[in-house]
Amino acid sequence: MTITHHPGDEILAAFASGTLDEARSVVVAAHVSLCAHCRATVATFEQFAGALVERASPAALRPGALDAALSRIDADAPAAPVAWEAEPDCPLVLAPYPVGKWRWIGPGLYWRGADVPSGDGTRVFMLKAAAGSSMPHHGHSGIEWTCVLQGAFRHDLGRYGPGDFDEADDSVDHTPFVEEGDPCICLVAMQGNLQLRGLVGRLLQPFVRL
Amino acid sequence: MRAIAIRQDREAFKELFAFYAPRIQAMLMKSGAAGEIAEDLAQETLIAVWRKAGSYDPDRATVSAWIFTIARNLRIDRFRKDRRSQLHQVYELLQPAESESPDGAHEAVERESRVRAALDGLPAEQIRVVELSFFEDIAHGEIARRLGIPLGTVKSRLRLAMARLREFLGDGT
Repeated sequence: MTITHHPGDEILAAFASGTLDEARSVVVAAHVSLCAHCRATVATFEQFAGALVERASPAALRPGALDAALSRIDADAPAAPVAWEAEPDCPLVLAPYPVGKWRWIGPGLYWRGADVPSGDGTRVFMLKAAAGSSMPHHGHSGIEWTCVLQGAFRHDLGRYGPGDFDEADDSVDHTPFVEEGDPCICLVAMQGNLQLRGLVGRLLQPFVRL
Repeated sequence: MRAIAIRQDREAFKELFAFYAPRIQAMLMKSGAAGEIAEDLAQETLIAVWRKAGSYDPDRATVSAWIFTIARNLRIDRFRKDRRSQLHQVYELLQPAESESPDGAHEAVERESRVRAALDGLPAEQIRVVELSFFEDIAHGEIARRLGIPLGTVKSRLRLAMARLREFLGDGT
């Protein structure tokens, strides 16, 4: 798998810091789980954070903090890690969240919602588009971050195959085209609404309400 | 860490606690946690370090980076505003089963020395802006207000710092 489109360093830094919005984090995590390059970048920012911790001036602990910790370390057994399993078609990073069923939303186009909370109104869903189809021409009223899970699409900025991360915002207006071969499945975090253009788009708009 | 993992060495744990607990607490307070909650979380972090010591992989992360990630995940879990939140689990899921680098051992150590070089080469004012922006999640406008500098300066410091980091850290690999 050759991944050519990655999230920017600022996004990976915020993700490593744990300050990125949850809905966005899930899509970044889907990319990071597929991309060794970005895993290394995240590890580097974690190392950066670790170094900042080492260099921090220590706060005053409350008296007896160490004894309290010592008395707790063998008090209760650690919880066993959860062994998550992903639903069919879903990336593993969605496993902790409730995921809906695929819903038909237009010719060759399916939508599947995931219940990921967000502090800024960003929604997470999966999209499946038939090979050789084109997505309705659309703009955005907020950010739209996409991680390709299967298949590939193209738009003005290049080809996006499995693992690729596409970052669009309200300045982007495009018509993604799905390549021949497998249907294209993407994980998307989207803020605001998709604004469909053209006659077909306008006809679909009230119906799709993405 | 090995002493803790293999021999359940309490003396080693005490040393680790004495160094990291007050610093983790300081970091949590900087990112907005109230004193008492930061104290609790710092303690929880070190207790988790004791319990997870067996799964610590020195090839993958240095002790400080690993402890940071434990504190980060506990903080996220503690501060979730929405009970549907599972973000701490997402981070856990990303932990690869085994070390990825073909020649193993030195990856984390090399990363640490590159990060140290980057930190040593960055002016304190740039580090502060990176810290506020990413680790404390403060908006650029608020950073400008707090530091008493123009917004443009915040942005340029951040840009310079990130460019410098990228230079020191290569491709991040």
